[in-house]
Amino acid sequence: MVASGSHARENKHEEKVQDPDRGEDEIKAEMGSKTWADLAGEMKMFLWNPEERTCLGRTAKSWGLILLFYFIFYTCLAGMFAFCMYVMLLTLSPYTPTYRDRVSPPGVMIRPYLNGFTIAFNVSQPSTWQPYVDSMHHFLAAYDDKVQEEKNIECVSGQYFIQGGNESEEKKACQFKRSLLQNCSGIEDPSFGYSTGQPCILLKMNRKGNESDLRSVDFYPGNGTFDLMYYPYYGKMTHVNYTSPLVAMHFTDVKKNYLVHIQCSLNGKGIINNINSDRFLGRIIFTLSIGK
Amino acid sequence: MVKKKSDVYSIEIYGTKDLEKTEMGEEEKYKDLKGNKKKKKTEDLKKELELDDHKLSTSELEEKYGTSINKGLSSARAAEILARDGPNSLTPPKATPEIVKFLKQMVGGFSILLWIGAVFSWISFGIQFAQGAESPFDNLYLGVVLALVVILTGIFAYYQEAKSTNIMASFSKMIPQQALVIRDAEKKELPADQLVVGDIVEIKGGDRIPADIRLIFTQGCKVDNSSLTGESEPQSRSCDFTHDNPLETRNIAFYSTTCVEGTATGIVINTGDRTIIGRIASLASGVGNEKTPIAIEIEHFVYLVAGVAVSIGVLFFIISVSMRYKILDSIIFLIGIIVANVPEGLLATVTVSLSLTAKRMAKKNCLVKNLEAVETLGSTSIICSDKTGTLTQNRMTVAHLWFDNQIYSADTSEDQTTQPFDQSSPSWTALSKIVTLCNRAEFRPGQENLPIMKRVVVGDASETALLKFAEVILGDVMNIRARNKKVAEIPFNSTNKFQLSIHETDDPNDKRFLLVMKGAPERILERCSTIMINGKEEPLDNEKAEAFQTAYMELGGMGERVLGFCHLYLPENEFPDTYPFDTDSMNFPTSNLCFVGLLSMIDPPRSTVPDAVSKCRSAGIKVIMVTGDHPITAKAIAKSVGIISATSETVEDIAKRLNIPVEQVNRREATAAVVNGMELKDMSLQQLDDILCNHSEIVFARTSPQQKLIIVEGCQRQGAVVAVTGDGVNDSPALKKADIGIAMGIAGSDAAKNAADMVLLDDNFASIVTGVEEGRLIFDNLKKTIAYTLTKNIAELCPFLIYIIASIPMPIGTITILFIDLGTDIIPSVALAYEKAESDIMNRRPRNKRKDRLVNEQLAVYSYLQIGIMQSVGAFVTYFTVYAEQGFLPSTLLGVRVDWENNAINDFEDSYGQEWTKYQRMYLQWTGYTAFFVSITIQQVADLIIRKTRRNSIFQQGLFRNKVVWVGIFSQIGIALILTYGLGHVTALNFTPLRFQYWFVAVPFAILIWVYDEVRKLFIRRYPGSWWDKNMYY
Repeated sequence: MVASGSHARENKHEEKVQDPDRGEDEIKAEMGSKTWADLAGEMKMFLWNPEERTCLGRTAKSWGLILLFYFIFYTCLAGMFAFCMYVMLLTLSPYTPTYRDRVSPPGVMIRPYLNGFTIAFNVSQPSTWQPYVDSMHHFLAAYDDKVQEEKNIECVSGQYFIQGGNESEEKKACQFKRSLLQNCSGIEDPSFGYSTGQPCILLKMNRKGNESDLRSVDFYPGNGTFDLMYYPYYGKMTHVNYTSPLVAMHFTDVKKNYLVHIQCSLNGKGIINNINSDRFLGRIIFTLSIGK
Repeated sequence: MVKKKSDVYSIEIYGTKDLEKTEMGEEEKYKDLKGNKKKKKTEDLKKELELDDHKLSTSELEEKYGTSINKGLSSARAAEILARDGPNSLTPPKATPEIVKFLKQMVGGFSILLWIGAVFSWISFGIQFAQGAESPFDNLYLGVVLALVVILTGIFAYYQEAKSTNIMASFSKMIPQQALVIRDAEKKELPADQLVVGDIVEIKGGDRIPADIRLIFTQGCKVDNSSLTGESEPQSRSCDFTHDNPLETRNIAFYSTTCVEGTATGIVINTGDRTIIGRIASLASGVGNEKTPIAIEIEHFVYLVAGVAVSIGVLFFIISVSMRYKILDSIIFLIGIIVANVPEGLLATVTVSLSLTAKRMAKKNCLVKNLEAVETLGSTSIICSDKTGTLTQNRMTVAHLWFDNQIYSADTSEDQTTQPFDQSSPSWTALSKIVTLCNRAEFRPGQENLPIMKRVVVGDASETALLKFAEVILGDVMNIRARNKKVAEIPFNSTNKFQLSIHETDDPNDKRFLLVMKGAPERILERCSTIMINGKEEPLDNEKAEAFQTAYMELGGMGERVLGFCHLYLPENEFPDTYPFDTDSMNFPTSNLCFVGLLSMIDPPRSTVPDAVSKCRSAGIKVIMVTGDHPITAKAIAKSVGIISATSETVEDIAKRLNIPVEQVNRREATAAVVNGMELKDMSLQQLDDILCNHSEIVFARTSPQQKLIIVEGCQRQGAVVAVTGDGVNDSPALKKADIGIAMGIAGSDAAKNAADMVLLDDNFASIVTGVEEGRLIFDNLKKTIAYTLTKNIAELCPFLIYIIASIPMPIGTITILFIDLGTDIIPSVALAYEKAESDIMNRRPRNKRKDRLVNEQLAVYSYLQIGIMQSVGAFVTYFTVYAEQGFLPSTLLGVRVDWENNAINDFEDSYGQEWTKYQRMYLQWTGYTAFFVSITIQQVADLIIRKTRRNSIFQQGLFRNKVVWVGIFSQIGIALILTYGLGHVTALNFTPLRFQYWFVAVPFAILIWVYDEVRKLFIRRYPGSWWDKNMYY
C-alpha cells in the first residue's frame, strides 16, 4: 500500500518534468501500426490514465491552469468585445438610423397576410376565409376610430406633416380612421366582403425613415392614394402611435374558381417599381383564387 | 584500479542484459523479418550460383551458346535471341501511370471532404428543386464551385509534381553505348542494347563492359568493379578459371563495370536484367519506398483538421436537428461548416513552398526528384556517406614524401599550384628525377591552358598522381622526359611489383645511363644497398633500414598507398652509349641500387568536407562512412574529415594504448568504431544495433552493396531518418530503402539516380549540408504557413456556429469563405516560405519524428482557440456595426433567422420601425458578408506579421527583411479591394461595395493580435521551459 503510494508520487514528480503532451503525441504517432484493441486501450489510457492521474493527457493541476488561463483570456476578450460594441452603440442615434440607403425606396405589402401571396378561399366554406377576416380585424384594431381619435391628431391633407423641434421629442401621428376604408373597414361588413366573394385587400407601403420627397401616389384601380400628411415617419422611438396609411382594394367582381394575378405598383417620385431582383420594391404581386 | 574498473564493467553488462531481456520479443520479430528477407535474397543469389560458365572450356561455351569464337553469331540467330530475351538494358522502375497520379491528387488530402460537401450541395439542390423552392440553384452552384475547387487544386498539385519530375526525366536520358561485336564473321559496331547471349564482343581500355562476359582472350586486361563491389582498385582479368564463385573468378567481366586497361574478347553470357547488376537493380525495385516524413506530417495534419471539421460538423448537425431546424437546412449548415473548416488552399500552398525550396536547392547543386524529399533532408539524423568521390576528390594525390629521414607533407587541395615543402635538398632533386622519368602516364595533348589538376591524363591513378605532382613542382615534365631519353623500360606487373626504366641523362658531360625504379617499398628496399641522405649515398645499415620501416609504417598507417623509389647511375665503362639493353634477359643490374625515398598517395578529402562534417555534427546528425575501401584508408579519411574526431578512439586504439587484448577493452569507452565488412557478415542484428547505438562515430569498411542495405535498415530500426549517398548500380537498393537516397550527379549511374530521391550535381558532401539547412528551414516555415492558414478557419467557422445557435442573419457566405481561402490568403501563406531562419537552425538536433510534429497541439490550439477567436470577435464587431448603422441593433438580430430568411415577409421591421423587403435584407446580408470578409482580411495581415517568427520578436527578425511578405500583404488588400469595389455589383459573388470606414473597425483587434503575440513570444524567451513556454510555443 505504502509502496504503491510512493510510486504514484514518483510518477507525479516525473510528470512535472516531462512534457505534458507527451502521452498524446505518442499515441498519435503510433496509431498507424496498432490494432484496434491496442488503439482502444490507448484511447482509454488517454482519456483517463490512472497511473499518472491524467485525463486527456493532462493532470488535474494542468487542466486547472489551462482552464484558468482560457477563462481569463476569454473574459478579457469578451470585455473588449463589449467595450467595442458599447462605443459603437454610443455613436448611434436612437431616433434615426445612421444610414438608410439600403431600405429606400419603400416596399409594398398587402393585408390580409397569412403566409404567402395567394389569397384563396371558397365563399361557401367560411373556414377557408375566416383566417383572412381575422387577420384583417387584428391588423385594423389599431386603426379603430376611437383609438385613432384618442391618440392621434387630425392633419391637413395633401401636404407633409413636418414636425420640427428636438429630435428626441415625441412626434404626433396623423389619424387614419378605419372608417376611411368604407366598405373595406369591416365595420359594416365584418367579413370584409369575403363572405360574398368580393374580398377587400389592404395595401400598405413599407415604413422607412425620414423621407420627405414623396409625392401623392396614384393607385390602381380607383383613386386610392397614400396621403402626404402621413409622412414623414420619425422612427419607432418618438413616433410611437404612428399607423401606416392604407389603401383598400375592394374586388367586387372577381372571376370565381380562377387564379387571378394582380400586380399593384406604387407610382411617384422616388419610388422604384421595376427592379427584377426585388419584386416587392414599389409593387406587389399577389394572387386571388375565390371559389364558390 | 583495475578491479574497480572491472566492477563498472560488470554493472554495465548487467545493464545490457536487462535491456536484452526486455527487448527479446521484438528481437525475435526482427529475426523473423530478417529471415524472410534473407530467404528472398538467397533465392536471388541461387540464380547466381547456377552460373557455371566460368568453369567451361571455350569449346563447351561455343556449344552451349551455339556460337563460334571466330565467326560469332549469325545476324538471323542474333535477331531470334533478341526477340526471345529482349534488349540488353535494365528495365527502368515501373512508373506510376499519370492518370493514377492525377486521380490521387483528386481524392487526396481534403479533397474527399470537399467532394462530400459538393455531393451534399447537389442532393439538397435536388430536394429543393423537387419541392419547388424559390432559389434551389444556389446549392447547385455551390456544389459546382466546390467541385471546381477540388479539381483546380488537384490539377495544380499534379502540375507541380510533374514539373519537378520532368527535371529528372532529362537526367535519365542515356547516351547510347556502342559495342564491338563479331557477327557473321565480321566486326560490327552495334548499340549495346542489341547484344544477345552468345555474341562475341571485343573490349578495350576505357570501355564499359556491355553485358556479363565470359572472357576467352585477354591482354593486360584490368577492370574496375567499383560499381559492383565498391572497391575501386582495378582487378586484372584473364581467361583462367580461378575461383568457384563466379563473382570472384577472373574470367568473367560484369555488365556496367569498366575496363581500365588492356583488351579482351569474350562471349556474352547474360544480358539486361539477367546480369548480376540487373539482379541487384531489381532488388532495389523490391525494396518498398518509405513514406517521406513530411508526407506523414501532412497526413497527420489533414487527419487533425478533417477530424475537427467532421466532429464540429456532426455536432452542429445534431444540435441543429434538435433545435428543430429542417434536415435539409442542417445539411446545408454541415456543408458550410466543412467548407469553413477546410483550408482549401493550404495543400497547394505547401506544394508551392516545397517547390520553391526545391528550386533554391537546385541552385545549390541539390536536385530534388520528389518534392517531399526537400524536407526529409532537414529531419535527417543519420547520413550514410560513400567515401570515394563524395567525401574525397576521387583522384589519387601525393600526400607525403619521405627522404633524408624525414617526412614531408604535400598539399592535397583541389587547386594546388605550388608545393610548400622544402625542396632544397639534393635528395629531392634525385627523387624528383625518378618520379618524372619512371612514369608512363602522359597528359593528353592540347590542355596547356588548363590548370594542372584539371588536365586529363592517360595512365593509372598512381602514375597520374605522380605526373601531376611532378608537373606542379618541376614544370613541363614531358620536356624533361624528352631530354632524358628512355632507352629501356619494364612496365609494372604484379609479380615483379616494380617498374623500371633506363634513361640517358640530360647532362651532356655525363655519359652514364640512369636506371630508375619505383614499386612496393619493401621490394625496392630489398634491391638497394645504399640510401641517399642529403644527396650522398650512404650504406644501408640496420639503423637506416629501421628508419625506413618506421616511416613506411607511419605512412601506411595513414591509409596511404606508399611507393618506394631508387636509382642507379650505370658505370660508363660497363654500359657504353651503344649498350643493347634487353628487358627480357635483364642484362643490367637490378640490385645494389641506391634507395632515394618514399612517396605516399591518397585520394584526399575534398577541402569543404571537414567543415561540412562538423556542421552536421553540431546539427546533431551522425555521419557514418560506408565504403568498400580498406579499413585503414577509410579510417584515415574519416579522421581527416572529422567523421572520427581527433580525440575519440576505437576499441582497437584503446587496446593499443593500454596494451591489452581487444576483448578486454570496455566497448562503451570507445566512441568510434571501424567495422569491417567481414565482421559485419557474422554479426547478428542485435550486435549491429549495439554498434549503431553505442558508437557516435562509425566507419564501415570493405562493405558490399548488400551490407549497405543492412546498415541502412539498422539505422532505421533506431528510429533515425537516414540519408544515403551512392553512385553505383549496387547502391540502388540502399538508396531506395533510405528515407532519402542521394545519388551522385557526375559519378552516379542511371540506376542510382533512378532509385534516389535527390541528385547531388557536384558530387560534394558539403552540398548535402546546405540541403539539410534548407530542409529544416522549410519545416519551420511550413509550420508558420499552416498556423497562419488555420487561424482564419475559426473566423470562418464561428459565424456558422453562432448563426445556428443564435439565429442571427448569416454573417459570412460559403462563397465568400472560398474567396478568402483561395484568394486573399494564398500569396501571403506562400510568402512565409521565404522567411529567414529565426536562429541558427544548424545548431539544434534533428527533429524527433515522433514528437516534433509539423502541426502539434500547441499550434492548433493557439491558432484555433486564441488568435482565431480574436479574429472572430473582431469580425463580429464589424458585422454588428454594419447592421446597427443600417437600423438593426444587435438585440434585434438575435433569433430573427426564420423571419429574416422568409421570402414572403417583405415588411420586416428593424429597430427603428423601418420595414425591409426580403431583397433589401439580402443585400444588407451581403454587405455583412463583405464586412466580415474585409475584417478577416485586415486581421490576417496582423496574423501574417506575427507568424513571421515563432520565438523571436518581429523586430529582431526585421519587419521588412522578407519583402515577399509585403508583396503578400499588398496582394491581400488589393484582392479584397477588387472583390469589394470591382466585383461588388456581381450579385452571384455576394460582395457589395462597402463604406470605407468599415475597413477600419477590426483594426484594433489586428493590433491586439500583434501585441498579444509579442507578449507571448516575450514570455517564451524570458521563461524557457515554463508553463507558458510549454503551452504557447508551437
